[in-house]
Amino acid sequence: MIKSVLPSAIKEYLLAFADDEHLMGQQHTEWIGIAPFLEEDMAFASIGQDELGHASMLYALILEDSSEIDAFIFNRKPEEWRSCQLVESNHRNWEEALIRHWCYDMAEDLRWELFRESSLAELVLISERALKEEKYHRQHADALVENLLTVPASKSRLMKALEEIVPEVVELFSSIPGETEAISSGLVSGKYCDVFSTWRLRVENRFGTLDPKLFTTSHHQSRIKRHSDFAPLYGRIREVFLLDPKAVW
Amino acid sequence: MNVEISASVQDIHAVVETVNDPEYPGISIVDLGLLENIKVNKIGEVVIQLIPTFSGCPALQIIAQDVREVTEKLSGVKKVDVVWLNSPVWNVNRVTAKAEKELSEKFTIAVQIQDRKVKCPRCQSETTIKSHFGPSRCRSVHVCSGCNEIVETLRD
Repeated sequence: MIKSVLPSAIKEYLLAFADDEHLMGQQHTEWIGIAPFLEEDMAFASIGQDELGHASMLYALILEDSSEIDAFIFNRKPEEWRSCQLVESNHRNWEEALIRHWCYDMAEDLRWELFRESSLAELVLISERALKEEKYHRQHADALVENLLTVPASKSRLMKALEEIVPEVVELFSSIPGETEAISSGLVSGKYCDVFSTWRLRVENRFGTLDPKLFTTSHHQSRIKRHSDFAPLYGRIREVFLLDPKAVW
Repeated sequence: MNVEISASVQDIHAVVETVNDPEYPGISIVDLGLLENIKVNKIGEVVIQLIPTFSGCPALQIIAQDVREVTEKLSGVKKVDVVWLNSPVWNVNRVTAKAEKELSEKFTIAVQIQDRKVKCPRCQSETTIKSHFGPSRCRSVHVCSGCNEIVETLRD
């Protein structure tokens, strides 16, 4: 295994992505067994598994020893995470979970695309693999949302959820620590917030024109401060690990 | 004088071929297209490069461990490294005709070979896709137009 010698600003930048992916994956898997119908139960399990896989590939780049990934995920202090509010907040309703899945996956491929010509060869390969998997995530989320929007009662619930979630997506795109260094080193081809307009277009093409204020309001935390839902979420994530932290899986 | 004490690539390939995918007992990981390369030097240090079907596969550690165990038993092998590569990306075209037949006969699972219609393993009728996500991450769900049964389909 190649030893990681990435500068700390670059690691910080990749960590934000890895943590987003990991927590999004964990959040999706919480629908296993309780999603409203069997097909969604299975889809959320598979999509969540993909996001956890993407996170692992990124953690492997950040850490000097990939065997430390589990310990790194399960043994960090809350202030050492760089995840955004969107993946930390606890959306209990199914419509909010679906809208978050739609919003996150419509933003995720745009993030991987920035690595297409990365100066870090391994990152180019990882993004290629992730983009292939993401195509199915978008198809799945969009087909379901498209169908549900034709039913008035479903539509009003989805639109309400969308209004809750869009401002959280604004934070996902903005202020990623280490982004300036990541761009100047050629790790990434541009700022993530520069493709926000592409994401907004996707939203308004699917859901119609929304109140413009939604796209400028951000629960801005710069990824340093944790959402109040983080602590219980992290508790659930670590529950099994903490039973026997030295166990080999 | 030949002082080579190492195992050959062919010997190693033969034992790696005996490792089955934990999800499909009886089907070799080599037939599923997971083996990318085997390297061995004169002193018996072996590097086996595998590619995962998808990045979040939970079976990777078990597969790597199985591959390591069978290879270490070979005479002339001193050290075995099993490495998961990020490239090339696995796709269903790497699945051999043998594995395709076995998946169909033993597991009634079809394979989504590119540009080819997925046929029902039970009645050979054509199928239509119902969901990209099935009971396992690498299987989509189709429905058979002949017998109306669900057809689980290996996909990339």
